[in-house]
Amino acid sequence: MAADRRAEVKWRGDLMGGAGEIERVGSGAFAPLDVTWASRTEEPGGRTSPEELIAAAHASCFSMALAGALARAGTPPQELATSATVTFVPGTGITRSALEVTGTVPGIDESAFREAAEQAKDGCPVSGALKGNVELEVTARLASA
Amino acid sequence: MPRISRAASVSWEGNLARGSGAISGDSGAIEGLPYTLATRIADPEGKTSPEELVAAAVGGCFTMSLAGELTRAERPPERLDVSAVCTVDEVDGRHLVTAVQLGVRGRVPGIDAETFARIAREAEQGCTMAALVRASAEVRLETTLEGGRDGG
Repeated sequence: MAADRRAEVKWRGDLMGGAGEIERVGSGAFAPLDVTWASRTEEPGGRTSPEELIAAAHASCFSMALAGALARAGTPPQELATSATVTFVPGTGITRSALEVTGTVPGIDESAFREAAEQAKDGCPVSGALKGNVELEVTARLASA
Repeated sequence: MPRISRAASVSWEGNLARGSGAISGDSGAIEGLPYTLATRIADPEGKTSPEELVAAAVGGCFTMSLAGELTRAERPPERLDVSAVCTVDEVDGRHLVTAVQLGVRGRVPGIDAETFARIAREAEQGCTMAALVRASAEVRLETTLEGGRDGG
């Protein structure tokens, strides 16, 4: 299988004073979303940024991979709550994506959950696209432990 | 320069095949976007996916990078329209982001098509998000200059 997913962006003006918009995405699930250099590098002020979108991509990809791995191991999750924090150093680039997941998973112990989270971090397609270029880490804990 | 962090969160309920998740960005600009396995790999049915978010991230980053490079070359753009398509495929039994295809149409006073294409390639090389996904993906670029005069 191959799946294509599309986004369209427009920009008006120069980098510092201009403004952009993530105008539409193929699914129609979100957009238009404003983006500016100032909101990317200073306070977001309610605006998204490439870094936030890649954090959303990474957290969502990882969550699915972990749900799949847990189900295959016979311990499907009731709920996974995941965050991804992406760090951008202007002039250097993205240096890190840190995942944190809290799981409600019947019949699993903490170390098996941590192991499954490590595997999902290494195996999800977005991790595959990022790794080598950025430090990836995951902190995993069980909700009721 | 300071470090900048941007965070997003996801809640997932249930197993992979029949469960579903919701995606939010800490800025509040995206909130509770639903996604599932079926809509990720088949018809999106109005739902986003990690791949669509990658397309939006790379497209948004490249657009800013190009606006910056053109401004540095003293040819600030009037308007840039960029599309980004993220492709996931199965390679040796693993799902990988294999390509991100960027297309840009620009309206840029005082530039010719060749210079625009060269600066766009430099912007693509310099784009943080394009660099990020190159671990598995080929990044491709097509440029079109509106009303451009070749060699002009």
